[in-house]
This record gives sequence, C-alpha cells and structure tokens, in this order.
Amino acid sequence: MSARSPESSRMRGLLLVAGREIRVRGLSKSNLISLAITVVIAGVLAALPTILDGGDSDTEVGLAGAAASTMEGQLEAIGGYEVTVFDSAADAEQAVEDGDVEAAVADGDLYVDGRVGTELQTVLESAWQAAAVHGNLSDAGLSDTEIQQALTTRPLETVNLSDSESDSVIGYFTGLIISILMFMMLMMPVQYIAMGVVEEKSSRIVEILLTSLKPWQLLGGKVVGLGAVALVNLVAIVAVGLGVAAATGLLPDLPEGTTSAALSSIGWWLIAFALFGTLAGGVGSLVSRQEDAGSVLTPLVMSLTLSYVGSIFLLNAPGTTFAQVLSIVPPFSAIAMPTRMAIEPVPFWEIAVAIALLLAAAAGALALGAKLYSRSVLYTGSRLKLTEALRRAA
Amino acid sequence: MLEIKELRKRFGDKVALDGVSLSAQPGEVVGFVGANGAGKTTTMRIAMGVLASDSGEVLYQGSPLGAAQRNRFGYMPEERGLYPKMKVAEQIAYFGELHGMDRAAAKRATGELLEQLALTDRAGDHVQDLSLGNQQRVQLAVSLVHDPEAMVLDEPFSGLDPIAVDVMGTALKERAARGVPVIFSSHQLDLIERLCDSVVIIAAGTVIAAGGVEELKARETKRLRVRVDAPRDLIADLPGTVTRDGDDYLVEDADDQAVLHVAMSAGRVAHFAYDQPTIAEIFREAVAQ
Repeated sequence: MSARSPESSRMRGLLLVAGREIRVRGLSKSNLISLAITVVIAGVLAALPTILDGGDSDTEVGLAGAAASTMEGQLEAIGGYEVTVFDSAADAEQAVEDGDVEAAVADGDLYVDGRVGTELQTVLESAWQAAAVHGNLSDAGLSDTEIQQALTTRPLETVNLSDSESDSVIGYFTGLIISILMFMMLMMPVQYIAMGVVEEKSSRIVEILLTSLKPWQLLGGKVVGLGAVALVNLVAIVAVGLGVAAATGLLPDLPEGTTSAALSSIGWWLIAFALFGTLAGGVGSLVSRQEDAGSVLTPLVMSLTLSYVGSIFLLNAPGTTFAQVLSIVPPFSAIAMPTRMAIEPVPFWEIAVAIALLLAAAAGALALGAKLYSRSVLYTGSRLKLTEALRRAA
Repeated sequence: MLEIKELRKRFGDKVALDGVSLSAQPGEVVGFVGANGAGKTTTMRIAMGVLASDSGEVLYQGSPLGAAQRNRFGYMPEERGLYPKMKVAEQIAYFGELHGMDRAAAKRATGELLEQLALTDRAGDHVQDLSLGNQQRVQLAVSLVHDPEAMVLDEPFSGLDPIAVDVMGTALKERAARGVPVIFSSHQLDLIERLCDSVVIIAAGTVIAAGGVEELKARETKRLRVRVDAPRDLIADLPGTVTRDGDDYLVEDADDQAVLHVAMSAGRVAHFAYDQPTIAEIFREAVAQ
C-alpha cells in the first residue's frame, strides 16, 4: 500500500468517502422508496397531457345514406375519427342511442344523444357540406378528378405576430416541472451534505477521519457522493418523463426546445450543485450540533426557495425584464434559466452569460466552502461565527 | 521510534503546552499521565496531525512524521466517534480502507477483530443500536483494523467494561511485543503500572517526570517498612525519621542495618522491606511539588 502514488491515494480517499455516502444515503431504503415514488409521479405527469386529451382514441362517428361514402372520405382526410357506415338511418340512430357511436349523420339528419361537442358538430357539418357540394358537382357532370381539383384548397398557414410562443401550455408545464425538480434535487442533497458534516462533527468521528484524510477529501467526497445520488435520481426522473412522453407519442408534439431544456437542466443542475453543495458543507461545519444546522443553512435554503418562487413568477411573465434578469443572475439562474428555456426561446448569448456567471459563482463557492470547512471542522463547542471561521488559521 | 520534541501550543492567552517532549521506542508502551487540562490530549492531537503546534516537531524513525506514515498509525481520540447509522462490520472495514487496505484485506481484518471482541453476532447491526460498552469495542476495532505501525491512544480505557479492558490491554501488549511503539494516556494509574514500560507525567503543559516505571519507583525517597512483635513502642528507639502506619513503623533517612538491629533486639521481626511506591503515589508527589 505504500507503493501507491500520492496522486492516486488522494483520489482514493475522496472516492472512498463518496462511496460511503452512496452506500449509506443512496442505497438506503428511504431513498430508494422516494425515488420510486418520484419516478412514478414523473411518468404520470408526462402521460397526463395524452390522458387528458382522451388519448389517441378516435371519436366514433356513424354514417348512413347516400352521402355516407363521400363523407367517410372527408372524415378520414381530417383524421381522428373512426367511421362506421350503417345500412340504414335507423341502424345509425340505434347505434347513437346505444352509445356505440358519439354521433351519426344520415340523409341530412344529425343524430346525437344529448349534447354534442362544438368541434365534432363543425366537422360533421363541413363534411356534410363537402359531400353535398361533391354530389351537386357530380350531378352537374363533373368527373371525380375534376371535383377533386375544384375542392382542393390550400390550408391556412399560421403567421405568429407575437415575439414569443409563450402561449404553449406544454412549455408552461415543462417549465413548471423543471423548476420543481431542480428545486427538489438541489434542496435534498444540500440538506444531506450539511447534516452529514454536522453528524461527523457532533459524533467527533471527524477527528479520526482527519488522521487519514485531508479536509478537502472529506468534503469533496461527500459532495461527489451525495451529488451522484441526486444525479442518478434526476436522470432517472428526466429519462422516465421523456421516455413516457415518447411512448405516448407526445414527444413530436412538444414545442421546440422542450426536450433540450429538459436535458440541459441536468447540466444546470451540476453547476448549481457544485455551488450549493460546497457552501452547505462549509456552513455545516460552523456548528457542532444537529439543532444548529438549520440556522446556518437558512441563507442557502432561502436563496434556493427564492430561485424557485422566482422561476414560477417567470413562467407567468415570460419575455419580461424580470425573467431576463432572474435567468442570468446567479444563483437564481440555476433554476430560472432552464425553466425559461422551456417556455420561450432564449438568445444564445444570454444562456452563455448565465452559464459563465454561474460557473464563476460555483468556483467562488467551492473556494469559500472548502476554506470554511477546513478551518472550522475540528472546532467544537458553540456555533462559530462566519467571520471568525474565515479569520481562523487553517 | 516515535519522538515528540519541544511542543508548544497556545490557545489565545492560555498556554496549553510549554515545551512537551516524550518518545516511544519500538515495542515500548509509554503511559501518559496528567490531571485534566494538563495537556495530554493537545499533545496527542498534535502528534496525530489533527491540531497544528505553534512550534516543536513530531519525528518518526528520525524524520518528520508525514501524512502517509500517520495513516498507518492507530489513533483513538479522547472524544469517541462512530457513524451511528452505519453497520458495525461495514464501519470497521471502511476505516481499514481509509487506512490504505484493499477491500478484501479490510473485510478479513474486520472479521478477525469482531471475533476477538466477541462482536461477530452484532456485525450487521447499526452502531447506534449497540450498548455503550460494545460501541467502545467497535471504536477499539476501528483503531486496530489496519494493524497499525504505531499507536497513539487518548484514554483508551475510559468507559470500558472489565472484559474490554483486558482485551484492550492484551491488544496493546501484543502490538508492543511485535515492535510497535505505543503511547496512551489514562487516569487509571494501576493500569499504567501494569501495562507500561515507562511513564511520562505532565502538569500544566510541562513534563514534570519521565522515565522507566522501575527507574521512577527507585528514584523515589526510600521508605523502610518494619513490623516487629514487640511489647513496647519503638518510635523513640529506631534511628532516622519514624512514623507509624497502623502496626507498622515507616522509617526514612536511616541505615537499614541499624534499623534491623534495633528491631531484632526488641522482638520478632515480622516484616522488613522497602516500600515500593505506586505510580499513583509518584504521580501525586510529582504533581504536588
């Protein structure tokens, strides 16, 4: 064991600490259960639009009479309707009564059971008219091809005059889910890191650990280990969410940028976690008792909560200066930017600036957190003041 | 050889260590004795690199003790600590790995120690579910798992039940027999006397007495204990300074042959020997001075 190079033994120490955190926290029953529950919720949420839409199941429509075949062609061209052609108007009427079809058209009559959706009525109306026109033209001696040409029209093309596509409901929900996920996935490991640091301090085990490890190995291992646990959770949730969306056929319908926003949130999370994780370790080391952990964590919890609440505001006010500023200024940008990316197209330079600023903040947090930690981790007793910790010799 | 040289440490205005030196040869068990707050823990913490000294040095085999060597030491801090929510065997093996063992070796050593400490059936339990005495045994296992090259133990016997005290004492003796230098502190002076080759007494941050156990005992003022079956009191007859201790006469500053002569002429001499001072007496005396 003495043959090991100092470099590899340094990494080994860090990885051993990380491995312990993964075993103790990641593979704990409570974490596995909560992951399973969250994954199921993510899957259900992803499937929700399809379920609410009534799914892909087509509206069942019955047809009978002379115009039936022409109307059938029309409805098939529109898509989304399952057409049954009945032999007689009476059969069609019976099918509506029995609930086999939602509505039926026979010889100029629309049979419905109670009310009928406006959309369905409009579609049947226009199909009926088209069939009628078709019939009239046919009577006038036109061939089917001629009628086809005469009836072919260019569909309307949408020209959006608004700057943003913010009215996308799916974008809104994606943003909402991203902000909730980011908030949870930062809050949870940040708490665990601080708790772990205080646990080691309060149980005094840190004194034994530090004869084998450097403070940065101990803090780094904790951040890497708990980060890996949270990352696995995050990736599992995003993968299940996108997977379910793909399986239910929702993916192609998602507005441009939703998938990339979901995937990029993992990158945002990594930087944000480096920032909040090391700070949590640093401030955690200021106290010696579990009861005091809450008070030193307050600033971190507050800024995470503000980032989250700000992102929810942002979802309701895309395109505003508030949204722009919040999504660029660290640490709020960590949650706000991926949220904003889900709901509106963000200029590349804004993303680049936000990443650069967040990286800089994370680097600063790493330095500060590690400094705080190594200076105060062996100090026991009452809570150490921040300024005192920074003044103390390492 | 583990040498601690001229350590000085201040905490604010308070001088904790004022030039503390001690050493342990390979195979030597050194007892570190002192009242609370005398500086034992501070010295040991500095030796283990947990605390930085203001000046002075810690040498191992002639050169300054580095992190890699220190990692092969066994250390038990005064404030015991274990992960309460980690399983016993997992925890001992984890520390073995931290000390540079590979996983298989750490597991093997853990198994052997659990056997020795009669904890095998608790291997899968969380530490927090163990009794305090058993937690102390786990603590001991944590400091022994990597077969340490040298041992620095702060109050290793405090809080141990008699069986664990024996296990601990045997473990220390075994290690010493294999050439491991051992330094430990304790308030249980009978244990120090039984286990140690030499003793270092510290008071107010300064070493006030140090040396081999026998050497220290011999250095103490010699006191002759005489018991005579005589009908009359001999205080006036015996030479030197004489005091009574029950039926015994304690004689100091006198020629032992002259004392024996007087005693024999007075009656049957039932007991005639120099008192061996206990370490406890030496300690009290040294601290009192």
